[in-house]
Amino acid sequence: MIFNTWAYYLFFLFPSAIAFRLCAPRHRPWVIVVGGSLFFVFFSYTALGGLIPATCLGIFLWESITSRFYRPKSRFCWVGVAQAIVLLFIFKYWNFFVGLAWFRAAEKPYWTHAFLPLGISFFTFEFIHYATDRKFGKTEAGTLGEYLAFILFFPTMVAGPIKRYQQFLPKLRAEVASWSVDWQRGITRILAGLAKKFAIADLLTAYTNHLNVTDLTVANRAMLPVWLLAYGMKIYTDFSAYSDIAIGSARLFGIPIPENFDWPYLQTNIAQFWRHWHISLTSWLMDYVYIPLGGSRVAPERVYLNVITTMLISGMWHGAGVNFVLWGLWHGVSLAIHRAYRRLRPMPQNPSPVSQFGSWLLTFVVANLGWAFFCMDVHTALFFFHRLFLG
Amino acid sequence: MGDAMNLLTWLTQFLEYLGGSRDNQPPGFPVAVANPVFWGLWWGALSLVIYIFCGQSSKFIYIDF
Repeated sequence: MIFNTWAYYLFFLFPSAIAFRLCAPRHRPWVIVVGGSLFFVFFSYTALGGLIPATCLGIFLWESITSRFYRPKSRFCWVGVAQAIVLLFIFKYWNFFVGLAWFRAAEKPYWTHAFLPLGISFFTFEFIHYATDRKFGKTEAGTLGEYLAFILFFPTMVAGPIKRYQQFLPKLRAEVASWSVDWQRGITRILAGLAKKFAIADLLTAYTNHLNVTDLTVANRAMLPVWLLAYGMKIYTDFSAYSDIAIGSARLFGIPIPENFDWPYLQTNIAQFWRHWHISLTSWLMDYVYIPLGGSRVAPERVYLNVITTMLISGMWHGAGVNFVLWGLWHGVSLAIHRAYRRLRPMPQNPSPVSQFGSWLLTFVVANLGWAFFCMDVHTALFFFHRLFLG
Repeated sequence: MGDAMNLLTWLTQFLEYLGGSRDNQPPGFPVAVANPVFWGLWWGALSLVIYIFCGQSSKFIYIDF
């Protein structure tokens, strides 16, 4: 919930944004720190149900303390990266890996009361970004308050967009721009995001609810692509609406944050699709996974492997399940095939309208077929494909 | 084809402007950000849509990631 609750606007967004704009520059980071801490505790308590999730605020405090020891060329930065990965592994993947590693054991050491701290997938990526960029001298340290403001900036805390410290810090320090334009654009964006969520994404649930074995068994085959297409539209409108509200909320503070979507379903190849879908995640994966693996500056076979590995990590990041691994593999292989095809047949200078339309259609179909692995477990997804293609 | 692409580009710019993700109005669209009547009506329309459709809500998908 969160962004579609009154509490978010009345208790957190409007008071914090107004206080941020009214107070002296040296106090501004602390306005975000207080607002972000209260936000985390309140929604952890009310949405995740209890005090223990709320105490995970300690993760931010611990990270802010260790971040003070990150220095250019210091190996301690790797400790920061490792602790972020360990945190994510314990909370998100422990039970998944227990299921894999102890698959023959009668007694598996599952964490029976496992829970996901609010926004852990997103804030751990920001922790890794900061530690790595400090290591390579790509960002200044900032003050404790500034770093806390970066990680506790609540409009982006729960589900992004994933920020960069180098971009955030100058905005935090800059004179706050005019109220009128920022608030006009910010509120317009929030309202448009909420309308998109309620009037499009939630309405499509009536179709996407059918993506289960029972309904897939009895349904007319022609309905299957309609339901999957509905899911493709639902996840786009849902997540882009979420990003609209996050970006609009940040605008009320006068802090621009990265865009997440730029008409991905209009793109004419799968590489372009990924440059326009969940942009902040794609660029994070490029900078902290793909390029360190060697990126495109290695032998072609190795590049394909790097692409597939990066997308596998993207899939795993989305969820601890084999279906998400397959979803990552689907996109990794699609990107590798596209890259191999472009090696053989470079992009023409002026593609014909027919070929452009064909490319768009192929990209649209590939991206939407991939959602089958995203929204269904493996068994159901394979059954979906079996029914779709074999009847 | 060129006309269709130009129209598509204009349409995306228009929707981005109405949605608040773009500050500059698309070419040929006369309403500036500072026009209180237009934006008041637009906010009212969006609020009405939100009011009509809210309540059926599921949570945002990416909250669970």
